[in-house]
Amino acid sequence: MEKIVLFIVLVSTVLSAEITEKELQKNCIACHVEQKIPSSLIYRRYLRRYSTHRAIKKNLFLYLQNPIRENSIMPKQFFLKFPQKEASDLNKSMLKESIDAYLEHFDIKRQLILP
Amino acid sequence: MLRSEKRSLFRFLSIYLSSTFLLFLLATFIFYHFQKHHILDQQYNELNLEAKRINQHLGELSSTFISPLIYPYQKPFDSAIYNVDKEYIFGSFQPKDIIWNQEYYQTEKRLFHLYPVYPYYLGTAYLLVSKELNLEPINDLFHISLLFLAIAGTFFTLLGLFLGRLFIAPMKESISKMNRFIEDTTHEFNTPISTILANIELIETFYDCEGKKELKRIEIASKTLSRLYEDLTYLKLNHNYHRDIETLNVSILIHERIENFKTLIEAKALMLILEIDESIVLEIDKNDAIRMVDNLLSNAIKYNQKRGQLKVKLNREKLLIFNTGMGIKKDEIKDIQRRFKRANKSEGGFGIGLDIVGQVVERYHFKLNIESMYTNYTEVTVIWKR
Repeated sequence: MEKIVLFIVLVSTVLSAEITEKELQKNCIACHVEQKIPSSLIYRRYLRRYSTHRAIKKNLFLYLQNPIRENSIMPKQFFLKFPQKEASDLNKSMLKESIDAYLEHFDIKRQLILP
Repeated sequence: MLRSEKRSLFRFLSIYLSSTFLLFLLATFIFYHFQKHHILDQQYNELNLEAKRINQHLGELSSTFISPLIYPYQKPFDSAIYNVDKEYIFGSFQPKDIIWNQEYYQTEKRLFHLYPVYPYYLGTAYLLVSKELNLEPINDLFHISLLFLAIAGTFFTLLGLFLGRLFIAPMKESISKMNRFIEDTTHEFNTPISTILANIELIETFYDCEGKKELKRIEIASKTLSRLYEDLTYLKLNHNYHRDIETLNVSILIHERIENFKTLIEAKALMLILEIDESIVLEIDKNDAIRMVDNLLSNAIKYNQKRGQLKVKLNREKLLIFNTGMGIKKDEIKDIQRRFKRANKSEGGFGIGLDIVGQVVERYHFKLNIESMYTNYTEVTVIWKR
């Protein structure tokens, strides 16, 4: 019985992760790729400023809800090169889930290896 | 070397060596302490240099977008990076119980350096670098310190011995002079005293003299002088004297010695109580035994009151001599055995009696016990049993 419950939990976690990844591709990455916006660079810049995913999530959420220059940490030149984003039409929970997926996708822990 | 010389040298050496040793111990401890910190600082400095190197690499990795990012790990150092919430990000190790408020710290086997990072390259706010504590130089330092203490100790002991002998040289010379003087004087005493005593005996045997009382006084005075001569000779020759240890019947000896003191006892009209067990034997040199018994009896008579009580008790366990004399003050009992110390200066003598008794007691491992009540009585016991 316990094994069955564990299997169901595992399958549902994998499925939900796949769904969130798909949502991320659809809601964020697709547009970033099309407009050649460097998502990885944005992640690193936020990481360098805030250090934790918790703080990045809070500040990204603020910016995505109200995407003005003052709410962003990207430099002036960045906005000269890339268009200012319009406010997201995603609802709050969807937006938070997408940010989580974004942070999970670029998570620095996954990229580091020992020599 | 004389006993007093030995004692002076020993006292000087104990003060000199203990103070020198304490000073050197303190100096060595301070030296060891500082050097140990210096060694640890060197090792911490290595950690700091490694932390700077890793920090530089993290900065470079922060601008690198080609995965994977190779973490700048380098043996023998271990390191780990943590975000601003002190959560583990990555590293070659993951230690427990990190002390976040100390830049440098040490556990039993490892050294740690917590290096703050800003800007937060790859999210890193803290970089923890560690390596195994190299105990070899600290152990070497400990051994060098011990060796230094041993060498300094040996050197200062030898120096102390040399200085000590130098310091006691004048005292040694004075004692030698005094001994020579006593030797010469006592030698000059011997012949006249022997002549007086022999002639008194002749007068008593062959002539019926009218002045018997006066003759007795002369006899007492001469015997006192004779014993003084014996004591001084004993003290002088004590160190070189060849002892002839024999099975001595102490019971007989004590009777003989009491007989010798009879004139003195009668002169003071003392009540003599004898409780002497027969055939008590000891393995002892006869002269040592005579000097000890004579001095105890002489003191018991000399410091007794007129018509007082003199009790002599001898058995297998002890010799006890009791007198109803002036007694000794409680605080003076310990000092009384020292040479030239007299309980009462009103009586004659040099104060060498109990010193001689003490020397005999010490030589044969007996035990001397003095019990006294001031103005009342004195009881001196020599316990044979070891």
